[in-house]
Amino acid sequence: MSLPILAVNELAMSFGTLEVFRSVSFSVARGETLGLFGKSGSGKTTIGKCIVGLERPTGGEIRVQGANILNMGKKEFRKLRPKIQIIFQHPETSLDPRMKAFENLIEPLKLHSGLKQDALLKWGEELAELTGLRPEHLARYPIQLSGGEIQRIVLARIMALSPDFIVADEPTSMLDVSVQAQILRLMQKLQRETGVSYLLISHDLEVLRKVCHRIAYLDNGTITSIENIKRDVKR
Amino acid sequence: MSLLEIKDLSVEFSARENTVKAVSHVFFKVREGETLGLIGESGSGKSVIGLALLRLLPANANVSGTVLFQGQDLFSLRPSELRKIRGKRISLMPQNPAGALNPVLKNRLQIEEVFEERGIDKKEGMKKSLRLMKKLLLRDPEKLCDLYPHQLSGGMRQRLIACMSLSFEPELMIADEPTKGLDPEAKEGAVELFTKIKNDYGKTMLLITHDLDLALEVCDRIAVMYAGEIVELDKASKVLNAPSHPYTKGLVRAQPRNGLVPLSGQSPSRISLPEGCFFHERCRYSNIECFRKHPEMKNHNGGWIRCHFQSLQ
Ligand SMILES: Nc1ncnc2c1ncn2[C@@H]1O[C@H](COP(=O)(O)OP(=O)(O)O)[C@@H](O)[C@H]1O
Ligand code: SF4
Ligand SMILES: [Mg+2]
Repeated sequence: MSLPILAVNELAMSFGTLEVFRSVSFSVARGETLGLFGKSGSGKTTIGKCIVGLERPTGGEIRVQGANILNMGKKEFRKLRPKIQIIFQHPETSLDPRMKAFENLIEPLKLHSGLKQDALLKWGEELAELTGLRPEHLARYPIQLSGGEIQRIVLARIMALSPDFIVADEPTSMLDVSVQAQILRLMQKLQRETGVSYLLISHDLEVLRKVCHRIAYLDNGTITSIENIKRDVKR
Repeated sequence: MSLLEIKDLSVEFSARENTVKAVSHVFFKVREGETLGLIGESGSGKSVIGLALLRLLPANANVSGTVLFQGQDLFSLRPSELRKIRGKRISLMPQNPAGALNPVLKNRLQIEEVFEERGIDKKEGMKKSLRLMKKLLLRDPEKLCDLYPHQLSGGMRQRLIACMSLSFEPELMIADEPTKGLDPEAKEGAVELFTKIKNDYGKTMLLITHDLDLALEVCDRIAVMYAGEIVELDKASKVLNAPSHPYTKGLVRAQPRNGLVPLSGQSPSRISLPEGCFFHERCRYSNIECFRKHPEMKNHNGGWIRCHFQSLQ
């Protein structure tokens, strides 16, 4: 069997004397969506932040295709970084309010791809189309966009980096039911087309049951069970 | 008698060379003791209606129509008369409860400040609020008063604001998106809270929400909004369990438990609305008439629907 794209082993985190979680272990295969369910305050977001390197856990390991990112050299980690992405509940925080949507969308490409202007624009347009954005949206500033439109821009921006793994932290909890369905279905489509894996963090079990391959339950600082939802992973 | 009656309400915002049609020809009545829900996706105009009837919209808003509160026309009141109604006889629980509280003031001061502002004795007001807090499922209200807003959970904050609004004994309560962003436990708490406000206090409410579960539990009737218009209005159970309008059907199907089926496309631009039915680009049932003619609100099985095909099943 090939290595899982992500494996979290015995992860532990404390802030001072406050233990948030201990011995959290799970793995995610290529093209798989693992749900992470838990009450608010149970540490879901902290786990997500550890995976993308925004927090440093107090114990355990995080392996990306076998390599532990916690004792990786800076250079090696920097190379890996664009492949592991996170989207938040309040996506507007990831966009620059002074830039129009399209510039926001292609900004990471500018930084990481080394593409020329023409190619950059073309790829940006393709990504916009892939995520269901219309030209009129691309010409607006973030403040002029709805929550669903912003979440699409953020997804397009992230997909620009061809990530292997995305931590999606409550990506739709601020959205309407109808827009939530659109965004979750869009994420599934992107997964089918690119093989990207997700850790989908949510406190909504109905949502998780509908889109995940498996669901990990976080309770009392540890993963108490992992439920298999009958759904094939397309590799 | 209706406590609130809205007739032909339209709101446009002028922004440079463009006009945004936020609300078009909305009408409904809210009876004494009734809870009317306004549902529909964000941007459909729900909040603007709430703000319009209290005359809280910014200066670039162009409002037309009539709003009668106990027979009194709110749009023709002088500012001094309006102040006697706003926040007292009609109270608004705003869309973002976190923003409604001052982060650097302890909760007790927040509450006192509100009374002071409205010219009511602080001590009296405080007493009333504490009594309400106990009744509205807040344990240990005294202790809670000594905390800062950020030390409360989303659900607790919402209750605090509900208590503050209720302590003026308003005849009408408007709550805007009370469950947005709350976790499931707090959402259940909100259902309990609003049920209590409704049953124990007999309040008349306008509940603005896109939380279909909350709407079904708490509302007597529901108005569904799309692109600034009401497209369906009927008993809550009818609207959500057996919707008639194609858009309402789509909303219900998008719920995770009903299949998480997305509606195709997006709502139209409000600067240039399409001809014919505003929903036709996304409607599974649309036909030639829908492109040509804008549907009017029509009576349908005791409710109202804005669709050329009233007999859709
Ligand atoms: N101050 C404003 N200036 C211009 N357009 C506005 C303003 N406030 C609201 N709108 C527009 O009015 C429409 C209805 O908005 P709103 O009532 O907030 O929707 P909802 O509450 O249903 O989410 C939207 O298209 C919105 O962009
Ligand atoms: S009028 Fe036509 S397009 Fe509009 S909702 Fe009815 S069937 Fe659909
Ligand atoms: Mg609103």
